[in-house]
Amino acid sequence: MKQIKFIFTGPPGAGKTTAIATISEFPPVSTDVFSTDSLSKLKDTTTVAMDFGQITLENGQKIGLYGTPGQRRFKFMWDILIQGGLGLIVLIDNRRPEPFKDLAMYLDNFSEFIEKTDAVIGITCIDIKDTPTLDDYQDFLKERGQIYPSFAIDARNKDDVLFLLNTLLTCLETS
Amino acid sequence: MDNTIRLPENVLAFARLELQKIADELEGIKVVVLATEDGFDIVSAVRDGSDPSRIAAMASSISAISTVVSEEANLGDSKNVIINTVSGFAVMQSIIRNDARLVLNAIANEKAVLAHVIYRTSHFANSLLTL
Repeated sequence: MKQIKFIFTGPPGAGKTTAIATISEFPPVSTDVFSTDSLSKLKDTTTVAMDFGQITLENGQKIGLYGTPGQRRFKFMWDILIQGGLGLIVLIDNRRPEPFKDLAMYLDNFSEFIEKTDAVIGITCIDIKDTPTLDDYQDFLKERGQIYPSFAIDARNKDDVLFLLNTLLTCLETS
Repeated sequence: MDNTIRLPENVLAFARLELQKIADELEGIKVVVLATEDGFDIVSAVRDGSDPSRIAAMASSISAISTVVSEEANLGDSKNVIINTVSGFAVMQSIIRNDARLVLNAIANEKAVLAHVIYRTSHFANSLLTL
């Protein structure tokens, strides 16, 4: 059975490393280092190369979980990590000043990849900052002509992250 | 996003001087960049039009991966990474100061001598630890 590769992306602090650690069946490979930019106000470390974890589904299907660095200066890693990927999970931190701008940036930069595969969107920290709402995100995507499933999730919650994964698998099976 | 690292002025002055010397004195050097561990360039000497910010980010990723490999293989702390190619090489030297975790990157063409570059970058790293 061929291993599936999914990629987690999104801005720094959105929960990519946490989401992978939450569901990986082994301690994930992490390339976090001390952060020296303004992000360090929110978290001490940042991913500079990749995260890697793995989960095996009940049917024996293995899914490789790859996390990208969030900052655009690491775009060369985005281009490396999507190779062989079958789907994209975009995590957006609702606390950030311009979450729509964040979402647009990742959808634009991964547009070729998404066109060939599929994507789901997880909104984190919506319990801390409740605007924009999930409906606002769906309207935003609709305006862009991009209909991707979007959900509020907690990256620390295994069921939430698995739900994103299962949704992406379903999208791939039905597309 | 700007980095918040503020190295002492004497360290920055030393780094500016020494990186320029490395670039001027070693044949084949294309660019030398001192960067933070998370990929921000701090000081650089450029001879070929390279973008120090891109090199800083790439060196950050490569150094981080080398650290993971070192840990996985129980090889201790990663000291440097060398990428040897048909037309040159890149050397990434880790520099762990008390006040900052840095990476020195030297990229050279085939005219450079790898041993010379390793010697100079290691010497620079050791000097930076004593300032």
